[in-house]
Amino acid sequence: MLEIHDLTKTYGPVVALDGASFSVRPGRLVGFLGRNGAGKTTTMRAVFGLIEPDRGSITWRGKPIDRDDRLRFGYMPEQRGLYPRMKVADQLAYFGELHGLQAAPARVAASRWLDGLGLTDRAGSKLETLSHGNQQRVQLGAALVHDPELLVLDEPFSGLDPIGIDTMSTILRQRAAAGVSVIFSSHQLDLVEDVCEDVVIIESGRIVAAGAIDELRAASTRRHLEVEVVGNANQWLDGRADLTVEETRDDFARLAVPADVDLGALLARASAAGPVRRFAFQPPTLSELFMEVVGS
Amino acid sequence: MTRRRSIWLVARRELVERGTSRGFLISVAISVALIVGAVFLPTLIGGASRQHLGIAGPAPAALPAALVTAAKGADLTLTVDTVPDQASGEARLLDGSLDALLVIPADGSTPQYVVKSRGNPLLQQLVVAGFTRPPDITLRELEAPDPGRDTAFAFANVGVILLFIAIFTFGSWVLTGVVEEKQSRVVEIVLSTVAPRDLLIGKVFGIGLLGIAQLVVMVAVGLGLGIALHRFDLPSTTPSAVGMVLLWFVLGYLFYSTAMATLGALASRMEEATNASSPISFIAIGAYLFALIVALNDPSGTAARIATFIPPVAPMVVPLRAALGAIEPWEIVLSATLMVISIWVLFVLGGRVYSGALLQTGARMRLRDAWRASSKG
Repeated sequence: MLEIHDLTKTYGPVVALDGASFSVRPGRLVGFLGRNGAGKTTTMRAVFGLIEPDRGSITWRGKPIDRDDRLRFGYMPEQRGLYPRMKVADQLAYFGELHGLQAAPARVAASRWLDGLGLTDRAGSKLETLSHGNQQRVQLGAALVHDPELLVLDEPFSGLDPIGIDTMSTILRQRAAAGVSVIFSSHQLDLVEDVCEDVVIIESGRIVAAGAIDELRAASTRRHLEVEVVGNANQWLDGRADLTVEETRDDFARLAVPADVDLGALLARASAAGPVRRFAFQPPTLSELFMEVVGS
Repeated sequence: MTRRRSIWLVARRELVERGTSRGFLISVAISVALIVGAVFLPTLIGGASRQHLGIAGPAPAALPAALVTAAKGADLTLTVDTVPDQASGEARLLDGSLDALLVIPADGSTPQYVVKSRGNPLLQQLVVAGFTRPPDITLRELEAPDPGRDTAFAFANVGVILLFIAIFTFGSWVLTGVVEEKQSRVVEIVLSTVAPRDLLIGKVFGIGLLGIAQLVVMVAVGLGLGIALHRFDLPSTTPSAVGMVLLWFVLGYLFYSTAMATLGALASRMEEATNASSPISFIAIGAYLFALIVALNDPSGTAARIATFIPPVAPMVVPLRAALGAIEPWEIVLSATLMVISIWVLFVLGGRVYSGALLQTGARMRLRDAWRASSKG
């Protein structure tokens, strides 16, 4: 388990991290969300010792992270980049060796990952001759070639086409299923909701929400209620000032209600107005949750 | 994994990727061509094309004009002077106003052809041919011939040029390598497993091995050709001179490449890197010119002796003075020690700047900001 505790880092007058704390459990896929400049990249760099925090600790399996731990981590920085003139297979083998593999196993791992990423026929090509999408695949391969126990990816989905997004999510799910702790940052909230079990939301260097997505949604004080009363044209809503109407269309209405709203009373009122074809009570989506905790 | 293995992996990548690159092969080819040219060039030019001959004694009246005409046919501009006697002629040989002296004794004994040392072979042939029976003239050199001296001078000269080319070329490669990693952003992944200092050491080490390889090829080709073509005989000091060139390549390269890597790390793009490193380039070129112009002419002079103890200049001055036999062993030891200390200081200071600057992108960084940005001292 990766545990981050009270992480603080300032750059002159700019506070990048302000006592951030959260953890990533083995086998979990964690989405790391926050606005630009909220502190995501700084946190990830701190995990790899690329910046030294002013305060706080980062531990892996209960101990401060050392060099040998980091060799078993995989990293995909926001600023993508590999050696443009190095051959693809050589490149992956090199990163495998930098992560502690011996030369021969590194070669084997490189060709296994190239196979998995559908790049076997480009193994001998220089990186710069590959298409943008294929270069992204090699980049992912460089983070995975040594079968890391912790995977940290900064915006892995940015710039990917739908096929690339599908490949990436499949691989991340597989890694998590294999027991790897995976954390990645993203602005694509629907995607995160789809792929991840857990999220961590950071704002101005502080963690404002963390946990399983379902639990966070359930814990929200807000709910959506979708109601459809046949032939009523939403007249049953007239005079109910306590209900916030978000959307109406023909007989359909979408309402924002408090979580503790008296559903029985509402259902009774709707039924009195006509036959109820739909009555759905739902927690907010991840997007809404994000706007709720981060929105200014 | 040990630090040593990380460093070796970085060095090996530089060796393999750059060693097989077209750039390196072209660099070796050009340097070999330069050496071959340097060995052949004197033959093609054939020495000085202006010669000044003095004649002492009763020479046949037609001789001077005949010699000038014959010389012109051989592309040699010859001036013939009559000198009062042998002694004044020899004095002018020594002060350099005459290149050769023909002495024809009044008593009819054998004429002498006198040069200061190693005369122009063409002129000698012409003069000797002017006498119907060649054995009738004896040849004499005023100064005992010292075949090693000219060769030592040539070695010193060529050695400095080789050193400068090698240090500058491979120092620039380190600069390029640093900026390439920064520009392509690959450095962030590398740094997630390798400490910045180890990355710097590995890079300098790997490229340095290529530099030594190229230098060895150049020296071997030069010496081999020279011997094979009888251009020169190896002076007894050859092994130590070659050793000095290699030693001072290593010292000079470590000094300059560390400095270039430090300044190069401040740049984000290749174009900026050249500007960022220009102070170092100026110093290197200044040191080179100083060695060729000042130290070569007066290797034991005060200026050369002082320069011996100035680290940026020493790598070019010390091997030159050594090749000319104009340096004391203690000077070499002290100079090398100063060099090692200054490399270490540069590495500690530069390593910190390098660490602080590697992950910064955008505008070119200032030295001070990079120093502060480095958290690990």
